[in-house]
Amino acid sequence: MLDGGTEYDIIRDKFRALDVAFPSAREASIAFQSLSPDREPRRGGATKELHAAGSTLSVRWTAEEARILRVSVGSFLDHLALVLETMIEFGPPVAQ
Amino acid sequence: MTVVIGFEGSANKIGVGIVRDGEVLSNPRRTYITPPGQGFLPSETAKHHRSVILTVLREALQQAGLKPADIDCVAYTKGPGMGAPLVTVALVARTVAQLWGKPLLGVNHCIGHIEMGRLITHANNPTVLYVSGGNTQVIAYSERRYRIFGETLDIAVGNCLDRFARVIKISNDPSPGYNIEQMAKRGSKYVELPYTVKGMDVSFSGILSYIEEAAHKMLSSGQCTAEDLCFSLQETLFAMLVEITERAMAHCNSQEVLIVGGVGCNLRLQEMMGVMCKERGARLFATDERFCIDNGVMIAQAGWEMFRSGHVTELSDSWITQRYRTDEVEVTWRD
Repeated sequence: MLDGGTEYDIIRDKFRALDVAFPSAREASIAFQSLSPDREPRRGGATKELHAAGSTLSVRWTAEEARILRVSVGSFLDHLALVLETMIEFGPPVAQ
Repeated sequence: MTVVIGFEGSANKIGVGIVRDGEVLSNPRRTYITPPGQGFLPSETAKHHRSVILTVLREALQQAGLKPADIDCVAYTKGPGMGAPLVTVALVARTVAQLWGKPLLGVNHCIGHIEMGRLITHANNPTVLYVSGGNTQVIAYSERRYRIFGETLDIAVGNCLDRFARVIKISNDPSPGYNIEQMAKRGSKYVELPYTVKGMDVSFSGILSYIEEAAHKMLSSGQCTAEDLCFSLQETLFAMLVEITERAMAHCNSQEVLIVGGVGCNLRLQEMMGVMCKERGARLFATDERFCIDNGVMIAQAGWEMFRSGHVTELSDSWITQRYRTDEVEVTWRD
């Protein structure tokens, strides 16, 4: 029987990453600033790092448990979708 | 002229409101209503808010007849409240603030209620009773803070009412509190319940346990009706609130009371508070459900005061917080 430790060993220290392409660096930066402020809930040992480079928003996760990783990725995708919808409906960004 | 748009979604209401120098331009709102016997949970509530927030935002702009360019500042609820719904609303506020090139401002939800109440009723320096599903506080302004004179030691008064409604399966539409209020009007027998005022503070969890335990027994044996229980619960809870409000007034030498928060639109509570005020020669101020219950304009109005006195929130500091006490905010917009 697999115990909790087995899953832990498989996943630990491995990261999952996601790149999201935006029409321009401006939109990527807006998404980055909208999505970064809220910290990941501390329980479960998941960390999430966001970076915006050019028109790409990159996310990298580390997690000690697959379950926690799934929750974190799932909620990030929900948040990202809401930001994108807001951009489509209330954008494009005004000239800086 | 300063135009502020406010986003609120810390509990089961989602609202977007716009104010221009004390004038309410629009204030659309939606409520997440759960089936009888069920409360609202964070993730489902967030899902609800997410599904309607952009529609509500569009309505707010349309009803105000404004374009994004006309807005000077984007205010949103920073806390206190439920985490997932707060994040949902903050995400949209942050995004539109950047798209439109406007400053962002995080507002304390409780301060929103107080400033909204002051705007609508023109109360000048009232003792504030803030009563809702998540909060129960008696507040007075002193030296740049809204100071908490008394509060609940456990659950909020609205939470006590909501959970009682679930026990006897009262509808949550339009709200459990409203339905309890209507049923209480038809109650005639007073069932004695624990009365738990502790100095300036109150406690409601014991009353809830007592009535949860007693309700089914008393109802099935025909000792009293559901209407009698609604009546008895309201009378007991509201008497406690009037008592601590009166004590705070005596302490502060105050001649004004302002009731805010969702429970504040209960007319029986307003009536009982009115009797106490009359006896003391004080004035009572209250608002109706449009402004008592969580709404966008309350955040816009507190944001308007804060923005005019020089506050803005940097994006990196715009994280939401589930706990955020009323007295943590320095009130820079009052003398």
